Amino acid sequence: MKNSKMHLSTETMNLGFVRKVEALSGSSVRRCFQCGKCSAGCPMRTFMEHPPNRIVRLLQLGQWERVLAGRSIWYCASCETCSTRCPNKVDLAAIMDALRKLSWDANGPSKESYVQLANRLFIENIKTYGRQYEMRLAAVFNIKSGQFMKDFLLGPKLLTKGKLKVFHQKNRNIGEIEQIFSRIEEMRKKGEAP
Amino acid sequence: MTKNLLNYSYYPGCSLHASAKEYDESTKGVFKALRIGLKEVPDWFCCGATPAHNVDELLSLSLCAKNLSLADNVEGDLAVACAACFSRLKTTQHRLTENDIKRKQVETAIAGSVSLEKPVKHLLEILAKDYGLDRLADAVKKPLTGLKVATYYGCLLTRPPDVPELDCCEAPTIMENVIAATGAEPVSWSHRLECCGANFTLSRPGVVLNLSNAILASAKRAGADCIMVACPLCHGNLDIRQKEIEEANGTRYGMPVFYMTQLLGLAVGVPTGKLGLESMIVNPLPLLREKQLL
Amino acid sequence: MSRIGVFVCHCGENISRTVDVERVAEAAGHISGVAYATDYKYMCSDPGQGLLKKAVAEHKLDGLVVAACSPRMHEKTFRNAAKAAGLNPFLCEMANIREHCSWVHEDREEATAKAIDIVRLMVERVKKDKALQPITVPITKRALVIGGGIAGIQAALDIADCGHQVLLVEREPSIGGHMAQLSETFPTLDCSQCIMTPKMVDVANHPNIKLYTWSEIENVDGYIGNFQVTIRKKARSVDMDKCTGCGVCMAKCPQKKIKSKFDCGLGTRPAIYVPFPQAVPNAPVIDRENCTYFKSGKCGVCAKVCGPGAVDYDQQDELITEPVGAIVVATGFELYSIAEKPKGSSIKGYGEFGHGTIPDVIDGMTFERLASASGPTGGKILRPSDGREPKQVVFVQCVGSRAREKGISYCSKVCCMYTAKHTMLYKHKVHDGQAYVFFMDARTPGKSYDEFWRRAVEEEEAVYIRGMVSRLYQKGDKIVVMGSDVLVGVQVEIEADLVVLATAVQPRQGADSLAQKLGISYDTYNFYSEAHAKLKPVECATAGIYLAGACQGPKDIPDTVSQASAAAAKVMTLFAKDQLEREPIVARVNERNCVACFYCKKVCPYGAVEEKEIRDRQGNLVRVVAYVNPGVCGGCGTCQATCPSKSVELDGYTDEQVMAMIEAL
Repeated sequence: MKNSKMHLSTETMNLGFVRKVEALSGSSVRRCFQCGKCSAGCPMRTFMEHPPNRIVRLLQLGQWERVLAGRSIWYCASCETCSTRCPNKVDLAAIMDALRKLSWDANGPSKESYVQLANRLFIENIKTYGRQYEMRLAAVFNIKSGQFMKDFLLGPKLLTKGKLKVFHQKNRNIGEIEQIFSRIEEMRKKGEAP
Repeated sequence: MTKNLLNYSYYPGCSLHASAKEYDESTKGVFKALRIGLKEVPDWFCCGATPAHNVDELLSLSLCAKNLSLADNVEGDLAVACAACFSRLKTTQHRLTENDIKRKQVETAIAGSVSLEKPVKHLLEILAKDYGLDRLADAVKKPLTGLKVATYYGCLLTRPPDVPELDCCEAPTIMENVIAATGAEPVSWSHRLECCGANFTLSRPGVVLNLSNAILASAKRAGADCIMVACPLCHGNLDIRQKEIEEANGTRYGMPVFYMTQLLGLAVGVPTGKLGLESMIVNPLPLLREKQLL
Repeated sequence: MSRIGVFVCHCGENISRTVDVERVAEAAGHISGVAYATDYKYMCSDPGQGLLKKAVAEHKLDGLVVAACSPRMHEKTFRNAAKAAGLNPFLCEMANIREHCSWVHEDREEATAKAIDIVRLMVERVKKDKALQPITVPITKRALVIGGGIAGIQAALDIADCGHQVLLVEREPSIGGHMAQLSETFPTLDCSQCIMTPKMVDVANHPNIKLYTWSEIENVDGYIGNFQVTIRKKARSVDMDKCTGCGVCMAKCPQKKIKSKFDCGLGTRPAIYVPFPQAVPNAPVIDRENCTYFKSGKCGVCAKVCGPGAVDYDQQDELITEPVGAIVVATGFELYSIAEKPKGSSIKGYGEFGHGTIPDVIDGMTFERLASASGPTGGKILRPSDGREPKQVVFVQCVGSRAREKGISYCSKVCCMYTAKHTMLYKHKVHDGQAYVFFMDARTPGKSYDEFWRRAVEEEEAVYIRGMVSRLYQKGDKIVVMGSDVLVGVQVEIEADLVVLATAVQPRQGADSLAQKLGISYDTYNFYSEAHAKLKPVECATAGIYLAGACQGPKDIPDTVSQASAAAAKVMTLFAKDQLEREPIVARVNERNCVACFYCKKVCPYGAVEEKEIRDRQGNLVRVVAYVNPGVCGGCGTCQATCPSKSVELDGYTDEQVMAMIEAL
């Protein structure tokens, strides 16, 4: 996939996908002229198979499958360095958000399940408790990702330092939060929200 | 009790009630000493942080918008300690001001109108601008003379340029100015704006070991005694994982990582016991003793 | 005893980096006849020249040697300074220790020694210099402009508007050049015809412009201010004085299937034709090669239908000689063709793109004709092969240009912009079509240029693919484009309906032979050379000849018009004086010694040597000797070297001087 030939035509360039990304991110994709400044400053570049500028390049050609198949979008740290320094005001951090959302919605072809799992658990925590409880997040993550012993030595240390809360208090706004989730879901069902 | 000079509503964020409780504790201590009132927004909830905007911008914006409307019920500009929460709340204000479509979607999601008027301020801004550096210097009881501090901004305090409105995104000075007011010496160093690996701490700790190592090495190169942060995520990566970083890279830093309010607390005379120094993984006490700051 | 001053320049570090200039000045001070020697960082600057003037007064100097750069660079500067100091300017000479020494040597010791030698021999030369007086020659205040494209038109109009007569010579039947073929022009997309044709009409109506179309330069003699040009007025077969431009002849001509050069072969024209309806002059010409009458003696329809009787089959080429004072060369360009080139040619074609055999692979000018409202398709973008509207159009930049292997290493400068324009024109006409551009770099330096290109990408949605195309081949009714996106690092394949190649801009064929007639220099590509790339960009090294437009190098319309006006301004500067001052470096004949062999006359490249009769008081012819016309002499010294009796000498370069210089070594 990565090295296979691109057959470009009006049919193979999914510009509808690109427009979706542009609408979600509020940023132009075509504006990028591939100077590479985003990749030059990206702290996560070494962990990505497609550097940030190539992500935009592939988008310009409507090659959405190539973009989503890779792990690059899941390795973005949202540090905003790219968006800050882009000479063309391309908001690449927002484009990355949009790509992750589209991948997420499609239940992604991404191999980066750990990052997705962490995100999912984090959001579930909000829905259930209203706030993050790092102990629970870490524990469940380790169980679900099968890394039972990960940070095994760190846990007790943090507990003694009082850094991990085992118990959590009930948030009185929890009903409101649940409603936000369900209203967004409702809007999406009706096609009123992306 | 004497009258407060300034009053704020306060959004601590999830971390300050857990892994970063010393940030919360020291913030309250410093603000009390400076006679700045903080009133926590009752039943605030998670801003969604990076995971939410990573995959669901509408959810992220809605959570923040709801928190902002909760904050409307408490008097005073909204003080935020965590750089990530600060960034999310400011981004929400920014995006919803600019984009009517998103604003309407969020209003539907939270079943209410979006309130974007209340100024959202990071603690640094309150201290440096509202309270003022001169007044802060005047409040110093024990100058942190001789302490070389590497001020670490990380990503979200200044980026992207038009959102946080805190300081120049490439050459900020606000942290240096604040810590210099205490008599400490901010060092000039290369990695104060680089990313520490942030929320990959859970899913991809290897990334953190790599990126945070570069930050610690840079601070050490610059001759810093310690690092000062204003974000619980950065703190987690630089402090909690420091030992792992050292092991992974076969090096030794022993670099205490303070929340800025811990250092300010020392200077303005907050009792040491109320600064949560014991919660730090890299023990700061030898350094503080050496510099005669205890 | 001479009192010579020597002034050694550091030229910033250009000289002093390799030559110990202080030592040169020191050594110069010890040369016999040198009264003063010094060095300075920038001798050509105001303080440097001031130094020179002050020394002339203080040390009563009677000759100057400036040890600095080439005389071509600053001889005039220092001679003017000498003149201002009260010396005859021809008593000031340059010792070239930069181009001839510091720039070409590395060893400091040896370079310094050589610099001292150069100074020493120039001192000897100055000792024998004579004060010379400038020669004045009259100026013919008429200009010749060669080429009737936008460059020639602009230059001609500017000079004519200034009140001087202009002869405008154009090879084709109409003026207008390439610009008349264009559809719309970047970066404003204004219609080329709308801005061009009014200027053509202005030329036709201008009382000071004499228009020679269907004409070529046969010969050029003379020199600045006094050229004699011979123009070949090719037989038009139509009497322009009688022709009313009614067009009946063209309508009735039975031979209608001749491919129109103006329409890049997309349309056809009759044998008697004007290239395009807005042609100036609007009188047709008979294409004798394709005319049935000329081929077989039969037909003659045009002559029969012509009311005023303007058709004249017996017309012959005419040679007209005209005196002019200045010449503007504006012969323009032609586009590189990908066709197979003769074996051994330094320029190669593109076999990988089909050598021009794929009908729907066209060049940029052909696309202009497709897009032009006055073109053969009425402005509809249709494929040449089957007249269908192409939906996938691939543009390829840098075809021929920047392709060393193909024989051209320069950038053609206009293609990036016109390709961006083409994608826009295409999108405006074929809304559901997609334009792709393969490019290596987008070079868009110019006012509002980059914004224009970005508009093509961002708003008109042209897909730009960074990378060159390897091959084109026909597959059914499609053309397969094998390319690469170097940014992604993968191969790209597109099945295109039409491929447009941005082929290189080249000088006109025959540019070299015209240059030889004019005596101007040209580069390896046959682009004409300017005298100085930065400071004399419109002047030729040959005085009185100026350059405008793409004959000097690839140029777009704004640059061409600017240069044409600049060339016109240079002509007007020349014409502002009644007499022309020339350098008195001319040959003189010692009439007593001359044996009248006239070898000098044979070798003189300027035709300056005449035969002079010497008569006694009674008027009897005593003998004939050579005479050098100082107004014509170019000062090259060829006669001096040739003369067997040593009777010719060049002022400033006499045998005595040269021998003294050699002895000083």
